[in-house]
Amino acid sequence: MPKDLLGQQDNTILSCKNGGHTTKNALPDEALVTLVTKIVLEHLQASQPMPVSPSYRPTEVVIGVGPAFGTGAAATINGLPHSQVISEIKAGIEEEGMDIRIVKVFKSSDVAVIGKEAANLSGSGIGIGIQSKGTTIIHQTDLQVLSNIELFPQAPLLTLSHYRQIGKNAAKYAKGESVTPIATQNDPMIRAAYQVKAAIMHIKETEKADRNKETIDWGLV
Amino acid sequence: MKILAAVDIGNSTTEVCLAKEDDVGKIRFLSGAAVFTTGLKGTADNVTGILSALEEAATAANISLSQISHIRINEAAPVIGGAAMETLTQTVVTESSMLGHNPKTPAGYGTGVGKTININHINHANTSDPYIVVVPESTNYETAAKLINQAKNINITGAILQQDEAVLVYNRLNRKIPIIDEVRGIHKIKDGIQTAIEVALAGHAVRMLSNPYGIATLLRLTPEETIHITPIAKSLIGAKSAVVMKAPYSNPAKPQKIGKITISGESIINVDFNQGAEMVMQAIDTAGTISNISGEPGTNIGNMLANAVKDMSALANSNAVHSPGSSHCHQEVQIRDLFAVDTFAPVAISGALAGETSLEKAIAVAAMVTAGRLPMQEIAKTLSEKTGLYTTVSGIEPVMAALGALTTPGVSLPLAVLDLGGGSTDAAIIDASGTVASISVAGAGELVTMMIQSQLSLTNRITAENIKKYPVAKVESMFHIRLETGEIIFYEDGINPRFFGAVVIMAPEGMIKIDEDRPIEKIVSVRQDAKRSVFVKNTTRAINKLLPMSMPSQGNIKHVILVGGSAEDFEIPGFISTAFADMGMVCGRGNIRGTEGARGAVATGLIMAYAGTHK
Repeated sequence: MPKDLLGQQDNTILSCKNGGHTTKNALPDEALVTLVTKIVLEHLQASQPMPVSPSYRPTEVVIGVGPAFGTGAAATINGLPHSQVISEIKAGIEEEGMDIRIVKVFKSSDVAVIGKEAANLSGSGIGIGIQSKGTTIIHQTDLQVLSNIELFPQAPLLTLSHYRQIGKNAAKYAKGESVTPIATQNDPMIRAAYQVKAAIMHIKETEKADRNKETIDWGLV
Repeated sequence: MKILAAVDIGNSTTEVCLAKEDDVGKIRFLSGAAVFTTGLKGTADNVTGILSALEEAATAANISLSQISHIRINEAAPVIGGAAMETLTQTVVTESSMLGHNPKTPAGYGTGVGKTININHINHANTSDPYIVVVPESTNYETAAKLINQAKNINITGAILQQDEAVLVYNRLNRKIPIIDEVRGIHKIKDGIQTAIEVALAGHAVRMLSNPYGIATLLRLTPEETIHITPIAKSLIGAKSAVVMKAPYSNPAKPQKIGKITISGESIINVDFNQGAEMVMQAIDTAGTISNISGEPGTNIGNMLANAVKDMSALANSNAVHSPGSSHCHQEVQIRDLFAVDTFAPVAISGALAGETSLEKAIAVAAMVTAGRLPMQEIAKTLSEKTGLYTTVSGIEPVMAALGALTTPGVSLPLAVLDLGGGSTDAAIIDASGTVASISVAGAGELVTMMIQSQLSLTNRITAENIKKYPVAKVESMFHIRLETGEIIFYEDGINPRFFGAVVIMAPEGMIKIDEDRPIEKIVSVRQDAKRSVFVKNTTRAINKLLPMSMPSQGNIKHVILVGGSAEDFEIPGFISTAFADMGMVCGRGNIRGTEGARGAVATGLIMAYAGTHK
C-alpha cells in the first residue's frame, strides 16, 4: 500500500511540475504542498489499521514487534533484516503446526512490555516480543510483565536459526509440551562492543513509542 | 549423667544417634542425624562426614560436642557394592539400508514408494517412475515446495528433508505427500535407491514398515530378502514415521559377544551372559556359598566386572596404606555375590542417517566384594584425635540393625530385618532365642538409579537419582500441576516460569525440572520396573538364602522389617510388602524407636547394646 502511495505521490508531483513548466495553470508551491498533504492524509486514513483485540484461538502464537521494528529500522543490531527475522520466527511456529498473528506495539519500547502485550492478545497465552534491535522474549499472559519464560538479551549474538528456534519453542509452550530452552552464546564483552549502537537503536525505538497509541494488526511490507 | 553417641557408616549414608544415660542407668534417646558418607566406606575420609553428622545431632539435642562422653562406631560389615552395565546387542546399518526415524513433526500421512532423487536433479527424472525426493539443508522450504509443485508431470510419492521443515513444505504443496524431516545424514543417500517411507496417522504407529510382509510388499522383496528385513521391521515397531531403503548390504542388530562368568562356589559353574539375567541368577543360586566370581577376560562381562570392582580394589589398597601392620596388605578383591538384571539402553545406531538410537538389550550387574576387615580402628583413632572424645569400635552390623529394628512398635521375635542400602541389601534373621544369622547380597539403590538413567537416557546421574526418590508431575499452567497420579494441585502464587510446560520432580525442597523431554508415563513405568526388578527380587533371594541356615521351619517368621535408606522410598516398601504378604508374612517399613522411620537402626542398636552390657 505505501508503495502505491509513493508512486501516486510522485506522479502527482511530477505531473504538477510538468504542468508548471508547460502550462500556465501551474499550481503555486503552497497549493502543491496542500494537495500532497491531502492525498497523503487520505491514504493514511484509508489504511489506518484497526486496533487488535484478544483472541480465544488456542492454536495461536502472537508476535509483537517494537514501535520502530521494520519502520524506524530495517535490520537488527547485527544486521539481520527484520523481514527475515520475522519469517524465521513464523516458520518455526508453522512447523509446530500453530497459527501466527503479528501485532505492532506502540505503548512501550521495552521488550518485556511488548512481549507481555503480545501474550495478552494471544489465544494460547503465549507471545513473542521483539525489539527492532533484535532482543527477543517469550512471554506468557499469566506472568508479571518483568518475568518471562525465555529471554534472549544479547541480540548481537542471535542468528536467523536462533529466531527459527524461538518460534518453535514458543509454539511448543503454546501446545503445553515440555520444552528445552534454546542454547545461546554468552559474551561478556558484547555489551561494551555494541553499547553505542544499542543505545541509538533503543532511543530510536523509544521515540516511536507512544503510551496512548493502541497496538495494531501488522503485516510486513 | 552421660551422653552417648553411636555412629553407623554405610556405603552412601553415615547415621548418628545421641542418647543420655541417667544416674540409674536408664537410657533416653536425644536426637539423630544422617549425612552422606564422605569417601569410601571404611576409610579415614569418613571422619569428615561423622563429624558433621555429630554436630547436626548435637545441635538438634541442644548440647555441645564436648559434652559427649563416649562415641561408639559400628564394626561395619566389610561389604562394598558396585554396579555396572553393558549392552548386549548393537545395531549397525551399512549402505543406509534402514532408517526408523521419529522426528517430532513429520507431515502428511500414508506410504510412499519410489526411487530416491535429489531435489536439484528433479529435471532429470522421467515421467514413468515414482520418486521420493531428497531435500538437503541447502534447499530451503520455499524452494523445495516450489520445485515439487513445478514438477507436475513427475510422480513424487514422498519427501525426505534434512532440516526440520516437513510441515512448512507440506503446507505449501498443491498435491499432498508424506514427508519425513530431520534426517541429518542425508548426503549419504544416493539417487536411484528404491525407498519406502511411511508417516502414521496421529496417535498411531507405522503399519506397513513395521511389518516384514509390509516392507516386502512395498519394496517387492523375495522371500529370502524378507527374512533379512525382519530385524528392521522389528526395530520400527512403535515408530511414528519410518524410511526403509533397499540397499545391497544390511547387517542390523548384530549380537555382541558378551562372554561368560565363572562362579567358584561349592562347585564351579560357568554361565554365558547371552542366556540372559534369569539364567545367570539361577546359576548364582545353585552355586551356594561363593568364594569368587570372575569374568572371561577381554569380553564385555569381563570388563564390566573389572569396572565394578575398580572402586573396591582402590579401597583394598587404601587399607594397605592406612594400616601398614595389617596382615592383608595385598589382599585380592573377591566378588562374593552378583546380581544381574535384564534391561535395555538406547544406543546410537552406527551408520544411521538421522542419528537414530535403537533400544538394545542390556544387562545391569551389581557386584559385591568383601574386603577382609575394614580398618575401623583407624577411623576411631582419627575421630578421637580430632574431637578429644573417647571412641570405641563395637557391635556387629547385622546384629545391631536387628536390635534397632526391634524398637519398631508392633514387632516380636522371631523376625527378619532387611536393610535396603545403596550398594547392597543385607538381611538378618533373629530367632526366638536371640541368635542372629545374616547375609549380604549385591544390588540395591544405586543399581536402580543406574537402570533409570540408562533406560530414560538421561545425561545427568543426579536427575536419575531424583527420579528414583520422588514422584513426578507435569506443569500444565502457571498456576497448576498434574501429578503422575492424575491429581491436580493449584498454586495460589504461581509457579516459577522456568518450569512452564515441563515435567518436574516433586522434591521436598521444590520442583526440579527434567531437561530431557520424556513422557511422564514412561518415567513412572521405568522407575517402578527398575525398583521391582531389583528390590523385590533381591529381598526374596536374600531371605530364601537365610531361612535354611537359621531355623527349621519358615513358618516361624511372621515379621519382616525394612530398614535403611531405600526403605524410606515412597514406593519400594510397598512393592516388597506386597510380595511378602503373598508369602504370609507381615512386612513393612520399620519405625525405629517409634519416631525415626527406617533410618538409624544400627546406631540405635549400638546404644541399646551399650545399655544392655552396662546394666
